[in-house]
Amino acid sequence: MDLSEEYDHDEEPEAAPGYRTYEVYQRERVGETTNLIKPRQLISNEYLEDPYPLLEILRENYPCYRDWLNNRFWITRYDDVTSVFTDDRNFETRPKNWHNILMNGSLSLWKVKEVQQQYENLVDNHISDVVDEVLTSFDKKDINLATEFCIQVPLRLFSKVIGIPEEDVEQFLALYWKSRLVNGWNPSHKQRGTSAMQEMETMVDEICAARRLEPQNDLITSILQTANLNRDVTAQDVILTFLDIDQDTFIGGLSNLWFNLMANPIEMEKILDDRRMLKFAWLETLRFSPPVLSAERFAKYEIERFGRLIPQGGLMMCSAAAANRDPRQFNEPNKFVIGRKDLCQREPRGQYRADGLPSGIAFSLGKPSIHPAVPKERARSMYAIVRDCAVIASELLLNSYPNLKLQKDTNPKLTALNLGDIHTCWDLNVEL
Amino acid sequence: MARKSTNNAISEILNFGENFEAAQRKFPHMPVGEAVDMGFDENGVPLIDPRIFDSGEFGRNPYPYYKIMRDHYPVFYDELHNCYFVTRYEDITNCYFDELGFNTIPKGSSSGVLGNTQLELSGIEHRRRRNIYGRHLVGSALTKRLHALEAIAQELIEEWWLQDNPKELIIDNEKGIATLELGKAFANEFPISVVAEVLGIPQDARQEFTWWYDAMMSGLGGSETHHEGLEARQDLENYVEDLVEEKRGNPTYLADESGEEICMDIISELCNSEIDGDVMSTEEITSFIALVVGGGGETTRGAIMNLWYLLLQHQDQYQAVQRNEELWDTAFHEMLRHSTSIGGQPRHNTNEIVMHGVIIPSGSLIHMVDVSANHDERIFTNPEEFNIFRDDLYSGKILRSGHNKEGKCSHMAFGVGPHLCPGAWISHQETVIGSQILEAAFRNVRINKERMPKDIDGVSLAPIGLGSIRELWLDFEIPTN
Repeated sequence: MDLSEEYDHDEEPEAAPGYRTYEVYQRERVGETTNLIKPRQLISNEYLEDPYPLLEILRENYPCYRDWLNNRFWITRYDDVTSVFTDDRNFETRPKNWHNILMNGSLSLWKVKEVQQQYENLVDNHISDVVDEVLTSFDKKDINLATEFCIQVPLRLFSKVIGIPEEDVEQFLALYWKSRLVNGWNPSHKQRGTSAMQEMETMVDEICAARRLEPQNDLITSILQTANLNRDVTAQDVILTFLDIDQDTFIGGLSNLWFNLMANPIEMEKILDDRRMLKFAWLETLRFSPPVLSAERFAKYEIERFGRLIPQGGLMMCSAAAANRDPRQFNEPNKFVIGRKDLCQREPRGQYRADGLPSGIAFSLGKPSIHPAVPKERARSMYAIVRDCAVIASELLLNSYPNLKLQKDTNPKLTALNLGDIHTCWDLNVEL
Repeated sequence: MARKSTNNAISEILNFGENFEAAQRKFPHMPVGEAVDMGFDENGVPLIDPRIFDSGEFGRNPYPYYKIMRDHYPVFYDELHNCYFVTRYEDITNCYFDELGFNTIPKGSSSGVLGNTQLELSGIEHRRRRNIYGRHLVGSALTKRLHALEAIAQELIEEWWLQDNPKELIIDNEKGIATLELGKAFANEFPISVVAEVLGIPQDARQEFTWWYDAMMSGLGGSETHHEGLEARQDLENYVEDLVEEKRGNPTYLADESGEEICMDIISELCNSEIDGDVMSTEEITSFIALVVGGGGETTRGAIMNLWYLLLQHQDQYQAVQRNEELWDTAFHEMLRHSTSIGGQPRHNTNEIVMHGVIIPSGSLIHMVDVSANHDERIFTNPEEFNIFRDDLYSGKILRSGHNKEGKCSHMAFGVGPHLCPGAWISHQETVIGSQILEAAFRNVRINKERMPKDIDGVSLAPIGLGSIRELWLDFEIPTN
């Protein structure tokens, strides 16, 4: 029999309007159960404290897990996560809530080249001074490295770079931190975040007025001067730009770096022998314990992926934490190994790979550059800026206190304070 | 100076974990009708913490939360669960009729157990399949089968007085009082027997059929017993396979009271129907059966239980129904308005829309909350009150188009529009005929409050909440003959 005659696909009728094929693909097959994990566990305190065992269950058993309770698909394998992340054609991000709150036409100016260049210059100029300031303020032998160093450096650097007057720093930073709450799911948090944004607007408005009269060498002045909006830059534009800089995740990254170093004395030896290993320690930290556990992408169209039909609007929960410990990519993925041979040791480009090796996926710690090399006329990527700051700060800390070690009887751990918050160490008690 | 200046900011950061419970929040149980205080916004509008939807408090006392949503967030965006809730009667009705704007979607883990069912189809495909079996559940095909319903009910009641006491009645001969649990004695078995009859399941398989039904029902919702549910479905599928082979060649027929053939039973009809020139596969037929079993069993059980619970708590209304048999229909509809066992239906919107100022991106999951629509004070006065005499509820023939005229609206328990519950009519008949026969069997019936599950105060009876009551203990006088 001539099969080509039997199956002439051109003659197949067009699907009628409203014809749906979900049931063909989407139905969970008889015999497939998800008894190994319950969606409720993915929004539990257990997940906040240690998400890795739960994510391993997903990655090894349900690589595209349909979480019915929370209406999302969990993507947990490295290649799957990066495939969603680099597929702008089929998956999109949705504007964060702070963009909705500051709706009246305000714009983040973070993408303006001059603003990025100025940010890079200011960070490079101030980082050493800020770290020195923090280090000289240590007045006792036992300190909580998380709160007295890992939080202090990024926040103080940030307020200095953008140009907040000394007397307003405290209030500004508190408002800045609170304002980020508007992106969460919790209505009380959102409310606090919204009112913080309103307060911050008043404050930034005054600073902008002062900078217009008397420009300074800071980021606010740069934003006011360089933007080309065909209108005056408002305080709301400035705030949106600040929020897009995502400085708070730097805190998580730095704290996780030092948590990993303190918890792995043998690896710490590598740093003490050769300070250049600090850069690799940072890269391994991004892989081993990314502070932002996952990022969301939405399906632009109905699309078949990972053996499922993902409906239009489907939320893909791309888990960096799970992907970074994928044994398909990394040997002994649950071990913190500085300079591991299966991790790319430079800035990954575009596809989250370089030299044929995967990198750690770390959302919100600066997007790696998509350019094959850094052109002279553009700033380094945020990925590189944040990495360099972390390395410089850590190196200066080690130079001052080479015998740093965990206090006795302390048991530091990583945790997220709320669902969706950064997963980091808030208590890292060390002896200097 | 600089260090000091960041310290307060740091304590703010660290305090967030203490000020707010983390991922899990325990909500206190509130008196029925009162909502937990979840905070207020700057305008005094109550906030809704989406964790409430996962709580036991919400399951037993959902209505005050739906009221907050109806009044302040007619479209509520739950960012934790990534979905929207539509809670007002009018909005839900509009969405149900807009088949182009809102798609039906797979129903979660129930898909594994029930399989590929009508619930998940839209448009032409939905109509085509529905037409095959829908007519068995309405009109003359149904009317001619009512005698079978009566016979099944009578048979069950006769079992109360059998020597080996299969229905576990507690008999106090001294006081002349019998006590039974209505579910065990009647409501669990009655609907499922009717379903088996209409489907054409042979008599000798009825017991297994009841077991499959129980296992599949308890396996819905991805619960601990999900695996058992899946196994039951596989067993059912194996059984149906042989049955289908048999009925493809030799269809069997349902008969009316005089023994005249009315039409094929549903399984025979499915075996001998074609869609697009293809006969339906055994797997497809199993899914149909599973849906009819799921839709026709548990919900009708809940309807009978809730109806008796509510009527016996309102003795004046029960007496009115006893005096006037026609009021059973009214009572049935008011019970479904007040406490239906199906909470609502999920939909996906096909295009980005704006409802009540909320932008809903295309493809979002939207819960149409039928139970909230039934308690919408824009439609029903004193919606929390059970009142069969209310004059704003339509209780005539169930219409696909719904009813909204002259100040009377139909309830939403069966939905409206293309996806109106196909079992609405048969469920109505089962509940009313079953209840009439029960009423005749009971003399001086009342709720045995001691045996009933209690609410948080340990005294009052547990509320129906979302769904139906699990147990209903009744005392009645032992008949003398």
